[in-house]
Amino acid sequence: MADTYFVEPDLDFIDEVSALGGSDLKKCFQCATCSVACPISPDTKPFPRKEMIAASWGLKDRLIGNGDIWLCHNCGDCSTLCPRGAKPGDVLAAIRSYAIKEYAVPKKLGEMVNDPKKLPILLAIPAVIFIVLGVITGLLDFTPGGSEIIHDHFFSTWLVDLCMIPASMWAVVVFALSLKRFIADIHANALLEGKTKKEKIEPIGFVQALIKIIPGILKHDKFNECGENQDRTTPHMMVLFGFIGLFIVTAIFFVTLYIFQIHGPYSQLNPVKWLGNIAGVSLVIGSGLMIKTRLTKKDEVSTYQDWFLLGLAMGLGVTGLLSEMTRLADLAWFSYTIYFIHLIFVFSMFVYLPYSKLAHIVYRTVAMTYKEYSERT
Amino acid sequence: MDKKYGVYICKGCGIGDALDMEELCGVPEEEGVSVKTHDFLCSKDGVEFLKKDIAEGTNTLVIAACSRRVNFDIFRFDGCIVDRVNLREQVVWSHPRSEFPALTEEQKGDEEHFDRLQMLAEDYIKMGMARVEKVDLPEPFKLENLSRKILVIGGGITGISAALDAAKTGYEVTIVEKQASLGGYAGKLRKQLPLTDPYEDLIPPAIGTKIKELEGFSSITVKTNTEVARIAGQPGEFTVTFKKPGDKIAFDVPYPLPDDMKLDENGKDLDVEKLAEVYAEYNKGREDILTIDPDGELFGAVVLAAGWRPDTLAKADLAHLGFGKLSDVITNAQFEEIAAKGKITKPSDGSEAKSVVFIQNPGKDDDADFDYAGSVTSLVALKQAKYVREDYSDGKAFIFYQHMRTPGLTEYFYKNIQQDRGIFLTKGEVIKIEQRGNALLVEAANTLLGEKLQVKADLVVLAAGMVPATFDDPVVNLAYRQGPAFRDIGLFDGYSDSNFICFPYETQRTGIYAAGCVRRSMTMEESIEDASGAALKAIQCIESVNRGVSVHPRSGDMTFPDFFFQRCTQCKRCTEECPFGALDDDEKGTPKPNPTRCRRCGTCMGACPERIIGFADYNIDSIGSMVKAIGVPSEDDYDEPPMRVLGLVCENDAYPALDIAGLNRLSYSADVRFIPVRCLGSVNVIWIKDALAQGMDGVFLLGCKHGDDYQCHFVKGSELAEVRMQKIGDALSSLALEEERVAQFEVAIDDYDKLPKMINDFVEIIEDLGPNPFKGF
Repeated sequence: MADTYFVEPDLDFIDEVSALGGSDLKKCFQCATCSVACPISPDTKPFPRKEMIAASWGLKDRLIGNGDIWLCHNCGDCSTLCPRGAKPGDVLAAIRSYAIKEYAVPKKLGEMVNDPKKLPILLAIPAVIFIVLGVITGLLDFTPGGSEIIHDHFFSTWLVDLCMIPASMWAVVVFALSLKRFIADIHANALLEGKTKKEKIEPIGFVQALIKIIPGILKHDKFNECGENQDRTTPHMMVLFGFIGLFIVTAIFFVTLYIFQIHGPYSQLNPVKWLGNIAGVSLVIGSGLMIKTRLTKKDEVSTYQDWFLLGLAMGLGVTGLLSEMTRLADLAWFSYTIYFIHLIFVFSMFVYLPYSKLAHIVYRTVAMTYKEYSERT
Repeated sequence: MDKKYGVYICKGCGIGDALDMEELCGVPEEEGVSVKTHDFLCSKDGVEFLKKDIAEGTNTLVIAACSRRVNFDIFRFDGCIVDRVNLREQVVWSHPRSEFPALTEEQKGDEEHFDRLQMLAEDYIKMGMARVEKVDLPEPFKLENLSRKILVIGGGITGISAALDAAKTGYEVTIVEKQASLGGYAGKLRKQLPLTDPYEDLIPPAIGTKIKELEGFSSITVKTNTEVARIAGQPGEFTVTFKKPGDKIAFDVPYPLPDDMKLDENGKDLDVEKLAEVYAEYNKGREDILTIDPDGELFGAVVLAAGWRPDTLAKADLAHLGFGKLSDVITNAQFEEIAAKGKITKPSDGSEAKSVVFIQNPGKDDDADFDYAGSVTSLVALKQAKYVREDYSDGKAFIFYQHMRTPGLTEYFYKNIQQDRGIFLTKGEVIKIEQRGNALLVEAANTLLGEKLQVKADLVVLAAGMVPATFDDPVVNLAYRQGPAFRDIGLFDGYSDSNFICFPYETQRTGIYAAGCVRRSMTMEESIEDASGAALKAIQCIESVNRGVSVHPRSGDMTFPDFFFQRCTQCKRCTEECPFGALDDDEKGTPKPNPTRCRRCGTCMGACPERIIGFADYNIDSIGSMVKAIGVPSEDDYDEPPMRVLGLVCENDAYPALDIAGLNRLSYSADVRFIPVRCLGSVNVIWIKDALAQGMDGVFLLGCKHGDDYQCHFVKGSELAEVRMQKIGDALSSLALEEERVAQFEVAIDDYDKLPKMINDFVEIIEDLGPNPFKGF
């Protein structure tokens, strides 16, 4: 631990965290009930007490690069038991939102993603790209015709991949840049706060740690330890597995298209199609349940970041299923329109992923891997 | 008064079942005194039964029934002397027949068996009869020139509030203020703590409205630029001399001689004449306390609201914080001055101070109170932190505390301040402050952040406590022989003490009631409330003096000490020992009583070696006769006679505790006889000597706790008794009696459950010592 810490409170940081859903952070009077209540906090240097005082002191440097904020699963047990109503769970969520914005480059885009006023522009961007690229390349045909509805005839699969491959690569690159800093920061913070004895991060060990924690993430082990918000486990699982399922389906179809040259649409009897349908339904139901919970649970703060993510998940699932259903129902133009919207959602998911709350899938996984690797107890 | 006696024994509440009534009635009958029993004496029928006798001429009644602490209103008969013999709580309820069996027919009359309980009851009736023979009905002491005016010393928020409260109830008030204008410290602030719901935000100083309100009262006289030179006389007729601050006048109060000046060059006590001479020299130019200022103004009672000053912090102790060396390290009082003038700036160069560190408990590494602190200093830090935020939107205020005390509704204020994004609080010890360029670097250890911290500050504010005005100066300047200030004030850090919990506002000087920060550090809200309490106390005092009765704790007592001066030896013990400074001796040493200063504890009576002081209903003879009325069986009566132990019991805590023990049916030895006393301070050693001389085997005193956290209702009584008991120990050993035969125990009113063991253990010790060798002589 450092000998003496030079404190420079950042008042703007306090304001921003307040705006991101942590508006009660100053109410904390350091009783540590939260750290005692937390079912998943480590025994040594437990969170969220130390994060609460750092937040109320505006100590940005102590929080943004602090892996512990990602170990929190926002169970809400701490917020329920907090005698002052400081809502540590929501404060940590707000700090995470801030951290996502802080690590993702370019920052300008991060600000846009987190600003509700910029939402129309964000959605317009893919639409414009699709139309411009489509018109230039002629891969977008507004008069597809034919007796059978084939989305490829309207919005060529080539165009889809022309847009989506760079979009996903974008996400990978942005994450790569962010994680480089992020991992360095959380390690430095762990050394400073005496949370680890490891001096350096060995890549092999780190990957081994990642492999070790994945089953736990899939099984939602940490979520299941929560008291207050345990009912969130199932919807979250449905959404996560929905995404995973759809990712697998997309990958398979990608391979079949480029290697076996087989074009869609596929038969409904195809098992891959089953998986896709189940995953889509799971995504819609899961995100629907989460939306319902957020609407009814007034004691927990719901921010724009939460709604952005839930809207995206719900939008993806609904437009995906709808474009399939309208296709089967032979509603040509309706189906094409929905498909176009669906593609906007897909594009948004990739491009905005590193800036939105969805980025937690990466940061939390990395933070949990680091905890495993650093042997933090 | 021609006494016509009557003894009345109640048979209710189990008394008739446990005791042999016929035998009991035999006690007064033997003395030729009329005795009657009744099944239910406190009933309507019972009272009528007593009134019938009173109508027929009985005027001295011994009512043997329940404790005198209950039904006192029912058994009060104007113009009659009434003694209450406690057969219920301290006889039958605390001595069940199952443990103290009655005698069978065969056992009666033999020399082996005796009925302890019956003996106890009979003794108490004898004692009651002995007492009423020796007491008289009191006549009230009335002053010739009673003033109903109230003097308020101090024109700050407390004094003004007290004056307003008293004026609203119709009393004339004079406020004296040393400064040129009213307002005190309350008038020197930028803002103050909230006074009303929701108790969240700072408010403009409330003193202005108070002063305006004051101007509307013609019954309030304000004397600014004035102080009290002396207060002479006694409650109801205090003669007060005023003067301009700093003036030297003839009626400046004289001071008692320091102890070393009372000795000659060989270290021996000076004789009376020499002493008077030294005293006159020492107080040259000042009139003696007994000389009354002919131009003095009369007042009935005084409210002392002299307030406080900021504590001066010791530079040597705070060198590591740069205090006294760095000009931007200041105290909270200095900070308030800066804030009241305008924006917060640095004293060093007048530039903006946007980052301010507030240090509570400066120089201390634990959370014990620092000197003259209290919750106020915590609240002031919060208030001043808010000033920084008011002045600069990017301002930062850090508070390092060892304790943050925000009692009661001030918690809302704390919560609100804590919400400010630019105010940062942590427990922690500031260990170092250094100049770094244009700023100060503050280093703190053991913080809530879990490590040592450094903070850059433009200004550092150290918390200083609130020193009561009475620390520096007597203020009241009493023309009392014991001195112009409250006695032993040094023991209480200069605060005007009386028992804080039991009697707030009271001081060790009757008629003078303290309020506000002379009592402890207080917020203005607390001071305003305190002022009401003290004003009401002052009114109570005037209205008691008016009727010739005592104030608290013996409220309504009409007796006062009576001196048989012909036998006074001018030993001055009474003057010196009176806890309230009620006596002023003249140059020969003869005490001059001031009855309205007296609280009727009887400490003078206990102190007097000549036994010339007494009260109409409580005196050396009355208690002495009760002691002598106790039957002391010897070997002539029984083969193994029971022990006899006397318990002199303080009526304030110990006697009620005994009653509660009885109420809870806790039993203890039946060989002890209790006599209630006004205070252990009133116990004269002659009673103890009498008891032992007539063969009683032991004596114990049961009274209040003494020491720093005393519970004595008369401040000094139990402490003085302890000193006297030590002296009597020496006397006992010279008589070949064991010192252990006399003891003193401390009890609080809620210690009733411990009493049986305390009593029984003492009786056991006495039994082990064996009977008093003087028994039977």
